[in-house]
Amino acid sequence: MGLTKIEIVTSLVKIDSLQKVLGKLGVTGMTVYQAMGCGTQYGAKEYEVEEKNETPALLPKQMVMVVVDDAVVPKVVDAVEKELYTGHIGDGKIFVSPVSNVIRVRTGEEGLDALK
Amino acid sequence: MEEKKIGLPSAIATGVGLIVATSCLMSLGQGAGSIGITFIIAMVIACVFNLITALSLAELNALMPNLTGGLAQYTLAALGPFVSVIAMVGGYLVCNTICGAVECAMFGNTMNSVFKTGLPSSVFCVILLVVLIIANLYGIDMFAKIQDFVAYGLIFSLVIMGLIGMFKAGTGTVVNQPYVLSSSPKDIMSLVGLAFFLFLGCEFIIPIAPNVKNARRNVPLGMVLSLLIVCGMEVLVILGMHNYTKWDELASNTSPHVFYGVSLLGKAGEYWMAIVSIFAVVSTVNSVISSLSYICAGMAKINLLPAVFEKRNKHGAPYVGILMIGGLMIIINATGLSTTSQLSTMILIGCVFWMAAYAIASVDVLIFRKRLPKAPRTFKVPGGPVLPILGIAGNIFMMYNITADPDARRMIYIVVLIIFAALAVYATIWIKKVMQIPLFKPIPVHKVMAMENDMYMVVRRKMRAGETKKVTAEGSAS
Repeated sequence: MGLTKIEIVTSLVKIDSLQKVLGKLGVTGMTVYQAMGCGTQYGAKEYEVEEKNETPALLPKQMVMVVVDDAVVPKVVDAVEKELYTGHIGDGKIFVSPVSNVIRVRTGEEGLDALK
Repeated sequence: MEEKKIGLPSAIATGVGLIVATSCLMSLGQGAGSIGITFIIAMVIACVFNLITALSLAELNALMPNLTGGLAQYTLAALGPFVSVIAMVGGYLVCNTICGAVECAMFGNTMNSVFKTGLPSSVFCVILLVVLIIANLYGIDMFAKIQDFVAYGLIFSLVIMGLIGMFKAGTGTVVNQPYVLSSSPKDIMSLVGLAFFLFLGCEFIIPIAPNVKNARRNVPLGMVLSLLIVCGMEVLVILGMHNYTKWDELASNTSPHVFYGVSLLGKAGEYWMAIVSIFAVVSTVNSVISSLSYICAGMAKINLLPAVFEKRNKHGAPYVGILMIGGLMIIINATGLSTTSQLSTMILIGCVFWMAAYAIASVDVLIFRKRLPKAPRTFKVPGGPVLPILGIAGNIFMMYNITADPDARRMIYIVVLIIFAALAVYATIWIKKVMQIPLFKPIPVHKVMAMENDMYMVVRRKMRAGETKKVTAEGSAS
């Protein structure tokens, strides 16, 4: 069984609820980065929706990174999508990528064992 | 972040409060009096169609959460501004104002028939409306407090009176009569339109969704539970009516609910049912004034109505809508609506638009499933397209069977077409001249969501004012 990394870009206000959802799903660890970023609107405010900024304006975001068993990826992605969704611009993005290995430093365990 | 003030019990109270009106109690008595307890079958069919609509609205709310305007915004994104204006201005604003005014008129008539004050019925109507307008100007908290009290008082009263009647525990004389007057499917189906009116209005929870705690769960749950509670309550009342009121007398009585109260418990029952009527009217009119004013504010936010409807007072209440809707109801009642024989016809006219709005809600669901199949939905109507299609068909069926009398039906359709024509003229002028967008082009969902932001129209109006100044300056220079 393989491992998958899920990286979630989200706004600052959603981080608490996202943590709770990930906890309920049984995700055994997460890393949160403070980030700056923008999407296709180049950081334009929602009410300026018809205009795109000429140069990208970076907005404060949070990036949550979790590594999970391949089998639970659809469930995790679905739950994260539903939690983050508001219909407004700025709901965020989810990146899903394969992970070749995970190693727990303290015990040397690898793969899924390192996540348990 | 603004604190959410309304929990599930208050959300249910909003739904029940709007659904159960004095006119419902009248329709309940007339329906049961016509065919006996088989009217329950018509009621269950109507309840099912309304549940489908509630589920459709719940899915739309999941896709476009916490929009003040509700169906106006869903339809704007699905079918474009023309249909949105017709459905909302016609289906909700005009018709609910009419239905609310009718409710007040019936309240005045009930007060006079019970208390025999000698005052014109319209006096009671106006006093009630003034009190509710003032209360709603104090904001959503005050609305919820009133609503909780009257709606749960209403539920409690009707359940208790139904149980007393069902178990023959009243002080009146028990009547021996058959349970069923007609079991013919034709007779039952001809009353489904009447029964439908017993369940209209649960969606009024949606405009207050931004103020509801855990809205994702409580808004759809509140709508469904309101309908089920109302259905259960009304079944009990019908079973009670069988034991204490002769069917033919019930059908011909102008206040069948008061008649049931008198037959069940004598004078005490008469006063109790008068209180129930007061609760029903207060809860309905309170819901109408509050929710319609928020719908107007939501529609103004997306430029479907003049910007003045967005203005709020220091309590956060959209006071222009509150004053206008309450004021219109006062004018309608002050001109003598209480004495007109057209009360039930006006209700049915309102219902046709309401049913059309419900059908449009199910159409919106199907359109979004095609257009945004992968958008996350915390709630989705089960069973694929079956239930929304059934909802559309059911609502069209209701409109066709709005009344069994063909002459009355023709008259209702004529009035509906006249109102529709007037709305179509308003919609065309407003959309072409003010909004300056194509009549039938849907607005993308993310743009409709962006419109909910207070700054959206402010920025656009400033931009247009800037362009106008620029054009004027260029014109002067040349």
